[in-house]
Amino acid sequence: MAGEAMDIEVAEQKLKSMDHAEQHYFNSYNHHGIHEEMLKDEVRTRSYMNAIVQNKHLFKDKVVLDVGCGTGILSMFAVKAGAKHVIGVDMSTIIFKAREIAKVNGMEDKITFIQGKMEEIELPFPKVDIIISEWMGYFLLYESMLDTVLYARDKYLEKDGLLFPDKATIFVAGIEDGEYKDEKIGFWDNVYGFNYSPLKETALSEPLVDVVEVKAVVTDPTSVLTLDLYTCTTEDLAFSCPFDLTARRDDFIHALVAWFDIEFSACHKPIRFSTGPHTKYTHWKQTVFYLKDVLTVQQGEKIECSLHNRPNEKNKRDLDIKIQYRLETQDPTRQAEGTCLFKMC
Amino acid sequence: MIEHCKEKYGLDFLAIRDRLQLDFHGTVRLINFIRQKVHEGATLPEEITAADLEDDRYLKPVLDDDALILCLDDLPEAGKPAAAAVPELSQFLSNAGANGAKTADAPMVDSLLLKNAELQAELEQLSKQFSNYRLAVQQTLDQRWQADEDTGDTKPSASSDSKDSKDEKPKDDSAYYFESYAHNDIHEVMLKDAVRTDAYRDFIYNNKDLFAGKVVLDIGCGTGILSMFCAKAGAKQVIAVDNSDIINKARENIFNNGLDKTITLLKGKMEEVILPVKQVDIIVSEWMGYALLYEAMMPSVIYARDRYLDPVNGLLVPSHANIWLAPVSDQEYLADHITYWRDVYGFDMKAMQDGIFADARPQISPARTVCGTPSAFRFLDLHTIKAEDLVFTAKWESTFKQSDSADQLLLDGFLVWFDMFFARSRVDHFIVPTTTAAEWAPKTDKNEERVAFTTGPFGTETHWKQVLMLLDKTKIKETEVVDGKKIAGEITYATAEGHHRGLTLKVTWGVEGQKQDQTWKLH
Repeated sequence: MAGEAMDIEVAEQKLKSMDHAEQHYFNSYNHHGIHEEMLKDEVRTRSYMNAIVQNKHLFKDKVVLDVGCGTGILSMFAVKAGAKHVIGVDMSTIIFKAREIAKVNGMEDKITFIQGKMEEIELPFPKVDIIISEWMGYFLLYESMLDTVLYARDKYLEKDGLLFPDKATIFVAGIEDGEYKDEKIGFWDNVYGFNYSPLKETALSEPLVDVVEVKAVVTDPTSVLTLDLYTCTTEDLAFSCPFDLTARRDDFIHALVAWFDIEFSACHKPIRFSTGPHTKYTHWKQTVFYLKDVLTVQQGEKIECSLHNRPNEKNKRDLDIKIQYRLETQDPTRQAEGTCLFKMC
Repeated sequence: MIEHCKEKYGLDFLAIRDRLQLDFHGTVRLINFIRQKVHEGATLPEEITAADLEDDRYLKPVLDDDALILCLDDLPEAGKPAAAAVPELSQFLSNAGANGAKTADAPMVDSLLLKNAELQAELEQLSKQFSNYRLAVQQTLDQRWQADEDTGDTKPSASSDSKDSKDEKPKDDSAYYFESYAHNDIHEVMLKDAVRTDAYRDFIYNNKDLFAGKVVLDIGCGTGILSMFCAKAGAKQVIAVDNSDIINKARENIFNNGLDKTITLLKGKMEEVILPVKQVDIIVSEWMGYALLYEAMMPSVIYARDRYLDPVNGLLVPSHANIWLAPVSDQEYLADHITYWRDVYGFDMKAMQDGIFADARPQISPARTVCGTPSAFRFLDLHTIKAEDLVFTAKWESTFKQSDSADQLLLDGFLVWFDMFFARSRVDHFIVPTTTAAEWAPKTDKNEERVAFTTGPFGTETHWKQVLMLLDKTKIKETEVVDGKKIAGEITYATAEGHHRGLTLKVTWGVEGQKQDQTWKLH
């Protein structure tokens, strides 16, 4: 989960002050296990492959920039689609593997891999025609590389250049999750006979990245953020959105679940994929926000909610998320209202 | 710390306190006075006088979030009785002196004796509170000085920019190590590892007679669960040490469960904290890492054992450990993680395979992959083992087992795991180097005094998993798994270079005399 992503982060920080033996350590398989997980995420990798390889008319003879190229798979797809040249940029040492891989696949002349920060390196081309990037994090925005992609867009993308993908939407729905909430949150009420409530508070304030079954979803989903990558700015990543959730059936709501959809609208036939509970598993899973109350809802009732998200002031990679909810009913015993604060870190 | 001040700085804190007859507030003034001087970089006067401390600003803490103040918060009753008792006591002493002359005055003597007993009880109570207070002061000053020392020696190495920064490295990875235990997740995983937590609970609760009235040291207390088990089992005092920030949660947990009178928490490294006692009766610790010795926490336990544990009757919980190795054949795993890279969406990504053979991988291996008898290669009597024994080379031997598979199996690697034993006494003749957890403590009766568990592939999964070392087939000669045939060799545990909490594992093996070897890192 998030831990592995963090390992790489830590590895990168340490990397600078390291000798070769240690670089090798951070270059080792265990620490690159995350790339295996991402490549094996079929929904993710196949969507990118289709978006690129099926659109040779867009890639032919173009200069392509791959932001956060990892093992170089997207760069190689772009070469396959006829790109004139691809530049792969990544801060992680995985890029050394990408270089080896491109070579054994006979693409070393077509791809230039540059290790470093997008903001600090110099590209061999003043402008690029297409930017491809798999930048999404949990809850779309957590530890995401979107700000780097936007930087690259503003600095390098041609006026009529294309972004792959170019649209991202976050959705939210209410879920019945009593059993798991008890296992994850209730656990701290009684740990081998002891009261562990201080850890319960922490557990409640941390969104949980996990798989939610579609049958747990009680309300219609609502979008809370839509990003058009051609026009959005880093300021848009701090956002507030009021929204309503309408109950599809009589049930309880223990939590809100969030996921995102990704779209490649430049394609001849638009390609999109979702990371929601209604579709195939992805390594992003879903993100669950447990509420303090359990809401008792009847079919057709609306829960008035709002979601506020902003990067933490001290640590920009962490997200501070506030969720407010209010259930107005004729039945005063079911009325509920609350504010929950979360921190993704 | 007090000794440290005395030796290194010639500052005899206790002597000054006694000389100036400082009450609690006075002592606070003294601490802040010293801190202020240190803070200003000024030298302390030869002899600190009462006049030096008069300024009321010394009632204001010099350090923010001072542990001293936290301590006063924790012990709201500490200040008042202490301040009141000192004059009362001296009055009593002068009365007693005067009394010597009028021994005939019997009722007076009785009331004085009564008074004496009361005051003695009060004094005992106070000295207990004061030792807690001293502890907090010690910790604060230790931290302070530690911080000074740290900046002192990192500065030159940071500016020198040299490649040879070995001295600095262990510090860095330790910082990361302690930091990694600061979050909820890892503690949730450990607490929910029922094999682990049940074992400690069962041993402590089923052997309450061992714990009743005893002083216990919990090394690496985490959320405080083992300390609370010990307190519940009747320990007189539990001292819990951890260098991770999780100890703040432990403090809350312990308070919320009403065990704060029994459990004293100390934040810091085991080698650096100063315990409020000279000796402890029991050390309880959950120090085990992957392949038993990854994380290198055992040396801290050994240090504490040699320094604090009663050398005659003191007990370590757990008391013994056994490390095992078995040959494995796991085609499925190879296909998933190695063959996979041959064709990834049409691309050759074999470059990604490299490290897989160089790294020992913590992961659950199904029992069916074990293709030979397990071999217990290293037995650790934790009461007697020395730090240098943790780096070793040991022999192992296994007999290949018949498999149901029609295909010819090949040796794909080795699996390492460990068993832990919790004995009631320092010597248990029934634990021998080849004892398994299941043999020594069969799970028949819940109230068994003996407790043991395995982290092996034939037991319930634990968060330690097993450690898999895959053979690099590009470099070694294939070994066929032939039923009944013996395979033997050696295994070496060494500290990983440049990563002192990591391990380097080397295995040699051979069938009928041919020797091969491979080395893996566990980082």
